[in-house]
Amino acid sequence: MPGPDPGDTAVALKKPAQPQKTGAVALPQADLQALTAALASPESAERRRAARDLGAFPEAGPILCAHLGGEAAASVRAVILTTLIRLKSPAVVAGLLPLLRSEDSALRNAAIEALQEMPAEVEPHVAALLSDPDSDVRILAVNMVSLLPHPKAPDWLAEVVARESHVNVCAAAVDGLAEIGDASAVAPLRALAARFPEVPFIRFAAAAAIRRIGGS
Amino acid sequence: MQAHRAFGQTDPAIQISEDEYEKFYEYFYRRTGISFSGKKEYFVEKRLFERIAKTGSDSFKAYFTLLRFQASGEELQHLVNLMTVNETYFFREDYQFDALVRGILPEITRTRRPGETLRIWSMPCSTGEEPYSIAIQILEYWSRADEFAIEITGSDIDSRVLADARKGIYGNRSLQRLSPELRKKYFRRLGDDQFEIHEELRSSIDFSMANLSDPVQMHRYRAMDVIFCRNLLIYFDDTSRRAAVEALYECLTPGGFICLGHSESMSRMSSMFLPRKFGDTIVYQRPIE
Repeated sequence: MPGPDPGDTAVALKKPAQPQKTGAVALPQADLQALTAALASPESAERRRAARDLGAFPEAGPILCAHLGGEAAASVRAVILTTLIRLKSPAVVAGLLPLLRSEDSALRNAAIEALQEMPAEVEPHVAALLSDPDSDVRILAVNMVSLLPHPKAPDWLAEVVARESHVNVCAAAVDGLAEIGDASAVAPLRALAARFPEVPFIRFAAAAAIRRIGGS
Repeated sequence: MQAHRAFGQTDPAIQISEDEYEKFYEYFYRRTGISFSGKKEYFVEKRLFERIAKTGSDSFKAYFTLLRFQASGEELQHLVNLMTVNETYFFREDYQFDALVRGILPEITRTRRPGETLRIWSMPCSTGEEPYSIAIQILEYWSRADEFAIEITGSDIDSRVLADARKGIYGNRSLQRLSPELRKKYFRRLGDDQFEIHEELRSSIDFSMANLSDPVQMHRYRAMDVIFCRNLLIYFDDTSRRAAVEALYECLTPGGFICLGHSESMSRMSSMFLPRKFGDTIVYQRPIE
C-alpha cells in the first residue's frame, strides 16, 4: 500500500485558516448610479458584482436588459439573467423581448431562459409574439411557451397548431404539445396533419404527439 | 393501458396508469436529471401517493398539473426532497476522487510552484465522510502530495452534522468501501461498530458553517481550486440554483474545477462553466478569463 504513515499527514495537509465569522466581512454597498457605472468596468468580476447587487433595485431591470446585449462575458450574462429573473416585472419582460430578434443565438436563448421564469409577466405578450410577422420569432415564442409554467400554455400551443401557416412554427408547437398537451389538443393535431398532407414529418410528429398525450 | 394502485395508498380511488408513470418519470428526469429504474417502482409510488394526499389532489392528473404548472415550483421541491436519499459514506462516487488525483490536481499544479497552497472545498460535507475521503485519496494516491500545502475545508449548513464531522467517529456502514488496510491506517477502533479518524487527519481539515444562498457567508470562501458540491443543487429551485452556481463560480479560482453528483449536470443549470472529461467523469471548469 503506497502512501504515508498517518502521522505524516501534516506534511501535505495544512489546516485552512478559519473563515471569518459572519458579519466580519461587510460587503460594500453601492447606489444605483455607482452600480450602473460598474457594469462598464473592464473587470468581469466587477461587472458580475454590479449585476448581482443591482438586484436590490427594482428599477434596474431595463438597465440590465440594455447591458445584456453588449455584454461579451458569459459569466456576466449569466449573473445578469439571474438578477433579471429575481427582479421579474413587466419592465424586465419589455426589456427582454427585443432580444428575441438578436442575431446572437446565445442571447436569444438567454432571453427565452429568463422569460420562461416570468409566466405572469409574459402572458400579456404571448398573443403578439405568436402572431409576430417574423416566423423565427414565432418559433422562439413557441419554444418559450412550451417551457412556460402557465396553465394556459397548452391552449396557446393548440391555437398555434390550429391556425399557424408556417410549417416550422407548427412543428415547434407539436413538439411542445407532446410535452405539455392534454386530450384537448388531439383534435387540432389531427387537423394539422390534414392541413399539411405534403409534409410527412408533420403527420409523423402529430401522430407521435397524439399517442403521447393519450389519444389513440 | 394497465392501471394499478400503489402499495399502502390511502385513497383506493386514485390510480396511476403505466403511461402516467412514464410521463412522470420523463418529466422528473428532465427537471432533476434523476432517473428511476423499474426496481424503484415502490419507492416512487409511495412518495407520489404521499404528495398526492398532502396536496389534496383528487387524481394523479390533478397532481401532475400542479407539479408542472405551479409557478413557485414548491411542489416539485417537496417531491425532489422525498425522492432523494441522503446517504453518505466514505469513497462515495469514488471515480471523482480518482479523477482528482489522476487529472484535476496534475493539471492545476502544472502552473504552480512547489510549496504553494491548493484549496479543496467539500460543500456540503455532511458528517465528514467526503472531505476525509478526499484527504485519504490524496495522501494515498497522489505522488506530489508532499510538494504542496493542501487545504481541505468541509462546510455544511447543518451545525449538527458539522459537529459529527469534527468528532470523526463512524460505523461500519460508513466504512464499507474502505479496505482493511486503510481502515487500519486511518482509523482507531473504539468499539464493535465505532471507528475514529486518526487525530492527525481530523485536525488537518477545517469544518465550518456555510449557506450557499447567503452571499455574505459565501464571500468568506475564495480562491478554491476544487469544489465538491455533490447532490446538493438538485434540492434548489431554478432561480436559487442559478444563484448558487454563480456563488460557487465566485468561490473558485479561475481555472478551478467543480465536481457535481452523478445525476447533476451543470449544462442544465448554467453556461458559466466548461465541461471537462477526466476518465469516466465529467467535471466543470471555471474558464480562465
